[in-house]
Amino acid sequence: MCIFRHRFAFILLLVILGACSSGESELPAGVDQKVFRYSMDSAPTSLDPVRASTLYANQLVVNLYDTLYVYKYLQRPYELRPNLATAMPEISPDGLTYTIPVKQGIYFADDPAFPGGKGRELTAHDFIYSLKRHFDPSTRPAGAWLWQGRIVGLDEWKQAGSDYAQEIPGLRATGSHVVQIRLKRPYPQLVDTLALGFSGVVPREAVEYYGREFSINPVGSGPFRLVSYDSSRAVLVPQENFRREVVDLEYEGYDAATQSQYGVALIDGRIPPFIDQLEIYFIKEGSARWSSFTKSNEIQYAGLPNEQVDRVLVSTNPVTLNPGYAEQYHMKTALEAGFVFSTFNMDFPEFGYNDDPERERRNHALRCAMIRGFDWESRNDSWYSGIGKVFPGIIPPVVPEYDAGLSRDSVIYDPEGARSLLAANGWNTATLPVLTYGTTPGPTSRLFFEQFRAWMMRIGYPKEKIVLKTYATFGDIAKAWRNSELPLISKGWGLDYPDAENTLQLFYGPNASPGSNDGNYRNAEYDEMFRQAGVMLPSPVRTDLYHRMNQLVIDDCVAITGLSRVGIALWHKNVIALPDRNFVGGRFMYYVDVLDPDAPEVQALR
Amino acid sequence: MEVFQYVLRKLLAGIPLVLGVTLISFVLIVYFGPDKTYELLGKNPTADEIAEIRSQLGYDQPFVTRYMDYLREIVTLDFGSSESTDEKVSSILARTVPTSIALAIPGFVLGNLLGVVLALVAAYYRGFWVDKFIMGFAAVGMSISFLIAIIGFQILFSSSDGLDLLPVRGWDMSTPLQYIRYVTVPTLATVFVALGYNTRFYRAVIVEEMTRDHVRTARAFGVPPVQLFYRNILKNSMIPIVTRIMFSIPVIVISGSLLLESYFGIPGVGKVTYDAIVTGDQPILKAVVVLTAVLFVIAQLLADICYRVVDPRVSLK
Repeated sequence: MCIFRHRFAFILLLVILGACSSGESELPAGVDQKVFRYSMDSAPTSLDPVRASTLYANQLVVNLYDTLYVYKYLQRPYELRPNLATAMPEISPDGLTYTIPVKQGIYFADDPAFPGGKGRELTAHDFIYSLKRHFDPSTRPAGAWLWQGRIVGLDEWKQAGSDYAQEIPGLRATGSHVVQIRLKRPYPQLVDTLALGFSGVVPREAVEYYGREFSINPVGSGPFRLVSYDSSRAVLVPQENFRREVVDLEYEGYDAATQSQYGVALIDGRIPPFIDQLEIYFIKEGSARWSSFTKSNEIQYAGLPNEQVDRVLVSTNPVTLNPGYAEQYHMKTALEAGFVFSTFNMDFPEFGYNDDPERERRNHALRCAMIRGFDWESRNDSWYSGIGKVFPGIIPPVVPEYDAGLSRDSVIYDPEGARSLLAANGWNTATLPVLTYGTTPGPTSRLFFEQFRAWMMRIGYPKEKIVLKTYATFGDIAKAWRNSELPLISKGWGLDYPDAENTLQLFYGPNASPGSNDGNYRNAEYDEMFRQAGVMLPSPVRTDLYHRMNQLVIDDCVAITGLSRVGIALWHKNVIALPDRNFVGGRFMYYVDVLDPDAPEVQALR
Repeated sequence: MEVFQYVLRKLLAGIPLVLGVTLISFVLIVYFGPDKTYELLGKNPTADEIAEIRSQLGYDQPFVTRYMDYLREIVTLDFGSSESTDEKVSSILARTVPTSIALAIPGFVLGNLLGVVLALVAAYYRGFWVDKFIMGFAAVGMSISFLIAIIGFQILFSSSDGLDLLPVRGWDMSTPLQYIRYVTVPTLATVFVALGYNTRFYRAVIVEEMTRDHVRTARAFGVPPVQLFYRNILKNSMIPIVTRIMFSIPVIVISGSLLLESYFGIPGVGKVTYDAIVTGDQPILKAVVVLTAVLFVIAQLLADICYRVVDPRVSLK
């Protein structure tokens, strides 16, 4: 009995000691290791580049795989630079042939998929194989739309059965380290697409070795390799075969005036990756993420949740941290590379196109009135801490083609004007059509609806004529959008590349449902301008075309738009980085350094 | 021999039950579940691409063909790969089910043990302040939502605003000490909520047993309270207690706890199942349905055997 009691006491002691010990590292004890713990709102489902369609998947993929080009770490607006390529592409005078030299001596990570487990050298053939996979239906690709109808022979290759042994005239290796792409018509955004996770270069051996499970066994030549991955986190370590390249901050777009406070100058002239382990946590729950972030030994990066804004900030204009937090954390506000907006479905005769020209004219007035009745500033204050950027049209402020001088009439809340417009065009409570508002479950979605309905009631819409339809999952509402089942589509759009073409294509007629033009907007003038601009390199002429297309969308009252959200990112003072959670910014993790919190360099940043 | 025959009989009788459950579930999955197609598609899909994905997912097959495939999968125990991650379903379950069990066991055991002990104390002091205090505590546990309990305990024990003693998130079973570090706060939240329900339920069972004639007689004969509770009350109360415990087991093994796993970043089967439900990942759902049904059959069987153990009057026929 006495022995039992002693054992029990000993076990209890161990339990208490174990439970109360601090520290989170999985790395060997006693070794001074640098771990960066990043957090994302959701988990990626696949790490295969052909399915890197979400922000979360893309952020991992661009760190596991190499792309021919990448966006410069610090340059804003975003600017491309060669990565696997030795230089920017050589483009033929007709803009149809791109010749891209690929670096020699680039090796894939060691993996059992290779003979002897040693990663082999990456060649131009690997890039070609990787791009072909987007046109192989068995891979369930999500990024084929980037190159569909663009590259000579690629679509035909798919139609002929996606036989990898068959060559494609427009996609060739003209040497072991030279890629040549021939286009059907000029595609100025081609180089941007070669910086996306979708164009990550994979080795064929690994795809064949792992089969379907290649999606969770990534084998790339990127700066990191995967150690473990589940629904709660991914753990990456530096890839042993990764090339040694010195950081040239000036080349990466360093701007001392706006970036020196983050300490990024400390990495100049050094060779990344600087960390020993990269842990990416997938945390949907805001309260858990915040609790974890504010500890000293858990996640080191988090977005500021709305519910903490009053506590953490002393001001939102300009965004200023409470001194207590400013002492501990870096803070950066970043304009979203994308925007939120709602589109009327023009295929609904009640709101859009109608066989009766008079009704179509009245529908136009109805849409314009609803746009005037939408209170963007209030939405901004309610949901985005008042720091989002409201702008007219569909060219968001983050792209170089943004038109700062555009009239803001379409985003000014004017319920009286809306009521007058409705009355002048014969709309009243009896004649206004029923509007079905589709959404997914959840309190935020519901409140969005209630806010929208309240605004519409203020312009004279009867409450019972704005009907909520809740879809169980995102997949279900996406199906409704694709199948043109809803008269109003509210969504957010993240830019795939920093070019207004990426948002203008949302209103291009041939992209109508099931394509990305959910509103089924068809305007011959718009489509013609889109086609003209589609083959132009950036120039004032192209920008002018973009602006005219933008104006058409505004004049036709096709969309209630828009707002680009401003995210407030916080990270620990000892983390030397400039995080970027945009689709085009995930590669920043390569440059992250983590210093001892007591190091003089960190003290200097406080 | 009697037990063996009974087990065999029950297992055979369980087959129609499993088939019935799978059929009903499959009807619900096919006709009312989410359509996975639109999550897999890219941004500008053509009608052909939509058809390709639907075909790969088997959506273009008749219901009967798809159900027959399901039955074949049950027989071969090969449910294929997840439509979301492409990982084999068997690997996913092998990886996540043990985690969920390890997460749930401490809370389950402590919640039930403490529930029985507190119920005995409350029943013994029925009507006195001790009883009222315990029942009041139980009512609090029942009234507070699990989500609030989780957030509250997380802030209290783990966050820098609280005691900051244990991790907010994560999971590590590499050593017993690490396991204890990570399982403690989820367990406290589970026990806090479970105690409310368990204590009230067990108290009601025990109080009912205390009013029986044989207990009154034993008391009149001067049987000491501990012996009275152990031999005459607890043993006879065991059937409803065993029933409750046994039928909780499949839920623990398969369902896990979505909230615990989400808030504490624990890679268990609860989160996998939830994600499969909301995204329409049918291979995972099909496997989970079968496993749950089979576990319920086994739990029922074990419960019957336990009845016999705790009450020799029960016959396994």
